[in-house]
Amino acid sequence: MRLWTRRWARALSLVALLVASTAGRAARAGEEDDLQRQIETQRGGVADIERLDELHTAGDELALLKAWLDEAWALRAKHEYDDVRGVLDRALAQAELIRQKIAASKLRAQADKREADLQLTRRKIDQSRKALADTTIKKKALEVGSK
Amino acid sequence: MSGARFRGALVAAAVLGCATPPRPRELDAYEAVKKGANLQEAAKRAPDLVTSSDKLGQKAVEEWESNDLEESRRDAIMAQIKLKTALALAEQDRLKAKIEKLSSDQGAADEEYASVSKDLASETEKLTLLQKYLEARKTADADKQRLSQQMSSDQQKAEAEQQRLSQQLATEQKIAAAQLALHTAETVDASKYASADYRAATDMLDKAQGELKQSAFAAAQASADVAKKNADHAAELSKPRYEQAEQASQNKMRDDALSRDASGVPGVSVRIDRRGDLQRLVLAIPDLFSKKQTTVAPGHEAVLDGIAALVNKYTTYPVQVIGHTDSRGKSGELVAISAARAQAVYGALVSRGVEARRLMPSGVGGDEPLEDNHSAAGRAKNNRIEIVFLYH
Repeated sequence: MRLWTRRWARALSLVALLVASTAGRAARAGEEDDLQRQIETQRGGVADIERLDELHTAGDELALLKAWLDEAWALRAKHEYDDVRGVLDRALAQAELIRQKIAASKLRAQADKREADLQLTRRKIDQSRKALADTTIKKKALEVGSK
Repeated sequence: MSGARFRGALVAAAVLGCATPPRPRELDAYEAVKKGANLQEAAKRAPDLVTSSDKLGQKAVEEWESNDLEESRRDAIMAQIKLKTALALAEQDRLKAKIEKLSSDQGAADEEYASVSKDLASETEKLTLLQKYLEARKTADADKQRLSQQMSSDQQKAEAEQQRLSQQLATEQKIAAAQLALHTAETVDASKYASADYRAATDMLDKAQGELKQSAFAAAQASADVAKKNADHAAELSKPRYEQAEQASQNKMRDDALSRDASGVPGVSVRIDRRGDLQRLVLAIPDLFSKKQTTVAPGHEAVLDGIAALVNKYTTYPVQVIGHTDSRGKSGELVAISAARAQAVYGALVSRGVEARRLMPSGVGGDEPLEDNHSAAGRAKNNRIEIVFLYH
């Protein structure tokens, strides 16, 4: 009985070791693919962000993002998955930062344009007021002169 | 010596090993961002991000102090990213608010601009209209003045022309009056009877016409007046003479006609006697009466008809009917016979339509014989009736 038990225990241990070994290799392969997809997804996102950055206000941040994605790719190749995940988290945050900066820059441009428009309108108002005053004076002068 | 060096090296290594490593520049950069940022605004907008950033920043400091530089660098970068994201979000809110305010201001400015533009357009339109009005008035005034000047000029010209024509007409009228006066003078033969005045009038008329051609109206009028005056004077002087001459001429013509007509009466002899200024056309009718008779013998009607027609034709002449006898007999009887015979002829003529008042019958007897009474022929001629037409 004890022999049977030991044998079974040994066999089960071997099976468990085999299963664990096989599952570990499968898990590593799945994680690598998953990280590769994440990297590729983020690289595709970079292209989208570049298209969004019409005002070219996030050039440095984009360069940094691309460098980090390259770094993540290199780390993935070295199977340093934890580091890859760290870099991908950072790249994700960087992409969000870039989007918000682009949004802010667009709003700033919009505000600048509105401000410029407002200034233009105010200049037009000033010019019109001056023209109105000049016209009124000229009209009064003509009225006085015509009597 | 070598032992001392070794100990020194160990001390230095220990000092270096225990000392805090240099701060990662990522951590400095994070601190710089944090220092310059409006953290309150960012924390309000994105509290999770700011909190996370703070924690990461704190962790990075701790990792740095623990000499775990790589971890410190990573966390500092992450902290910086999160903080910057929070700041970007806060900036977005700020910009949105600014845009909203700018939109509001723009709306107000647009309204104000529209109002001012409207006022300006209205004022400009008024000014334009006023300018047009003034320009039109100026043009009208100029036209008015020009027309006024033109009208004045035209009127002056017209008046001058009218005056000239008036003067010309007056001159022509005066010349015509002078010509008429001259013609009037000519009708009374002024050239003959008042030659000096007539010539002067002619000369002045010629002068007036010459002056008229030269448009010297005043001089022409004066000359015409003088010409008329001269012509009138000439006519005045000539008229009585002319009339007298004319009358004489007419009388002579009439007398000649009378004489011619008288010669045509059968059975009479015609002669003309002059007694002073008085002319006498004498028609002697012999043998009208038988001896000592006072009634017209028959067969003399034709003679009496011819005499009556002659007297009636020449009505202006006073006519004497004078009876004559020869010298045989007493003078008183002869006169009575001759007067009776004259009266008989008078009656015969009146009976033939001659006005009685024109006839003056008388008898002179034998006092005015034509021939010698010693012969029968002479006596026959002396017994006669004479119809005498008297004139000057």
